[in-house]
Amino acid sequence: MTTRHRWAPFLALGLIFAAQALWASPAGAWLINPVTPVAHEVRTLFWKAFGITMFFFLLAEGILFVAVIKFRARPGRVAAKWHENLRLELVWTAIPALAMVILSGPAFSTMKYMETIPKSDVQIEIVGHQWFWEYRYPKYGVVYANEPLVIPVGKTVAANVTSIDVVHSWFVPDFGIKMDANPGRINHIWFQAEKLGKYEGQCAELCGVLHAQMFINVNVVTPEEFERWIEQKKKGA
Amino acid sequence: MEAGTIARPIPHQEAAAHVRKPRTGILKWLLTTDHKLIGVMYIWLSFFFFCVAGIFAMVMRAQLSAPGLHLVHPEVYNQIMSLHGTFMVFFFTIPIMAGIANYVVPIQIGARDMAFPRVNAVSFWMLVPAGTFMLVSLFLKGGSAAAGWTSYPPLTDRQFSPGAGMDLWILGLHIAGASSILGAINFVVTILNLRSPGMSLMKMPMFCWNVIITQTIVLFATPVLAGALTMLLTDRLFGTGFFHPPAGGDPVLYQHLFWFYSHPAVYIMVLPGMGMVSQILPAFSGKHLFGYKGMVLATAGIGIIGFMVWGHHMFATGIDYRLRQFFSFASMVIAVPTGIKIWSWLATIWGGSLRFKTPMLFALGFIALFIIGGITGVWLALVPFDVQVHDTYFVVAHLHYVLFGGSLMSIMAGIYYWFPKISGKLYNEFWGKVHFWLTFIGMNLTFMPMHMMGMLGMPRRIYTYRPEFAIWNHIASAGAAVLLVGMTIFVLNMLLSLWRGKPSPKDPWDHSDETRTLEWTVTSPPPPENFHVIPVIR
Repeated sequence: MTTRHRWAPFLALGLIFAAQALWASPAGAWLINPVTPVAHEVRTLFWKAFGITMFFFLLAEGILFVAVIKFRARPGRVAAKWHENLRLELVWTAIPALAMVILSGPAFSTMKYMETIPKSDVQIEIVGHQWFWEYRYPKYGVVYANEPLVIPVGKTVAANVTSIDVVHSWFVPDFGIKMDANPGRINHIWFQAEKLGKYEGQCAELCGVLHAQMFINVNVVTPEEFERWIEQKKKGA
Repeated sequence: MEAGTIARPIPHQEAAAHVRKPRTGILKWLLTTDHKLIGVMYIWLSFFFFCVAGIFAMVMRAQLSAPGLHLVHPEVYNQIMSLHGTFMVFFFTIPIMAGIANYVVPIQIGARDMAFPRVNAVSFWMLVPAGTFMLVSLFLKGGSAAAGWTSYPPLTDRQFSPGAGMDLWILGLHIAGASSILGAINFVVTILNLRSPGMSLMKMPMFCWNVIITQTIVLFATPVLAGALTMLLTDRLFGTGFFHPPAGGDPVLYQHLFWFYSHPAVYIMVLPGMGMVSQILPAFSGKHLFGYKGMVLATAGIGIIGFMVWGHHMFATGIDYRLRQFFSFASMVIAVPTGIKIWSWLATIWGGSLRFKTPMLFALGFIALFIIGGITGVWLALVPFDVQVHDTYFVVAHLHYVLFGGSLMSIMAGIYYWFPKISGKLYNEFWGKVHFWLTFIGMNLTFMPMHMMGMLGMPRRIYTYRPEFAIWNHIASAGAAVLLVGMTIFVLNMLLSLWRGKPSPKDPWDHSDETRTLEWTVTSPPPPENFHVIPVIR
């Protein structure tokens, strides 16, 4: 075996281990718990982008690694003289460009999916304040703040997002949703939680001293529970 | 690249070699218009701000090393976080690259000085009050600006940031911006007009190409930032309401104007570094830079497309769907010219005879890390994924792979490469390599886990966090400690080498004939006015 091939199996093994570690790490299980259709789409898109870009990543880092090992200066080694190759340059311009065009397909369709708000079952308003969230259910006349948002499981929720003071951002990672709450503007989002449970998030746009304490809690409950809760809230108000 | 020189006296220039009596002492520095002295002062001043901003970073990593710590007050955290970004961008990365360019470009093109030496001095000296205003504001009542380096209104309006710190921040940035614009004019004019006989644009060293393209970006982008800052200032002082909804203004307008400057600013911060890498790789490979023409076109392409991608910082603000589509695609496309540069560097070292001196290690480290920043950049161009991780630590990770892995690694490569030329002394190679490995390992240890934090949903710019992000923050803070050790070694190595280093010959790197640029044909440090006889390029 020549020196040229001795390290090749080790390199291959290393790459396999690295890929496995990545797959098993939180990056692999990222968005540990996607609970909305949008979040699932986002995760699928991520893996597509990951696959396409990893090809270029491994190729480039691999070439770098091999060059560093193979072309060390040693007695008798003479540097090559070539420094141009039009065909090669066209290839490494065209192929990445093509990859970007291909990647834009799923990116744009997922974006369209996020963007198009379907017919909703529950409409809410989310208002950012320094440093808490106010939630309104206009249909039921319910308004409150500083408590978890409560939504029924499996129902499509449409929300208008705004702020009364500075820019905030309503961010629940498991829902795949982040929307800036801008004073003087109303932004629109939708989500449909598939699983019961309590979900956490927090404000994602720097909004002052207590930005780090501006938490978001969402309780996803059964439709019956939701009705009961709304009735209670109406009485309480 | 062709730097073969024929010493041929040009009669009317001979007289220029001995014009004034050299000043000595402090006045030599205060009154100088020599591009080399100004360059050195730029480097020292920016390095001072690098240390300040680096200390801020260490305080932040200490505060974030575990959840629920109270090492600094939340208000103070927001201030040092804001000044960390502001100093690193406007008072370290941009000016240190201007400083190195100031020193190197006139020599590389065979000129005696910059085109406007006094303007050059003015643009340097403007940075001193600019940075001082910001630093001093930390000690004022109410503290410094605390709204991030982006300073979005309405948080920066008088109502929410009443202190003078915010006004001083705007003033400081105004002055730094004006200094940038003056410098840009100077560089563009110098490179276009003062090249020595025979050096056509396509024979210039690659670093000079990167500098002229960078400075053109500065020239077109910085006035827009100045406009945005002026509007912010009049909103604060006179209640003009440009960004105030009840007065008919819109905070999102500020974001457009700010990013119209600040995205191109990323290229302002990284293109000169890419130019340095394009000099250093050939120098230590003994091989010509691969694809010179392609590199020039790719750099220009990055400069132009760089103006069409600012909206990718605003995918979560609710801007129009078609606009997001455009910015998304443009942001993906900019990966292509960036890729061309990376492939060309790889082709440059392929088949060479590589000598792993410290500058070469940093240049190779630059490539390895910049690829990662580039890949995550493509992911972030995809709107749905961007929305998921926007304003989280994923973006912090990405931007540090670009600005630390990219800009800082290349700056370090450049400093080690030109240190013998500038100081006339050789540095200690062993400690240089130790510095490289600590930086490379510490960098990955600090910023790789931030990808995970962001994907798990940890927002950026928070002084404390929920316990589920703890493990990744422990690792990041440990990495920061490694970086601190590395940087301390760097400072000691450089200071000791300045003091007791061996004298450097003209060309300490033994460049091959194809890769030797003009600065390596003169003494270290070069004589006043650089050349006794202006070189003629074949």
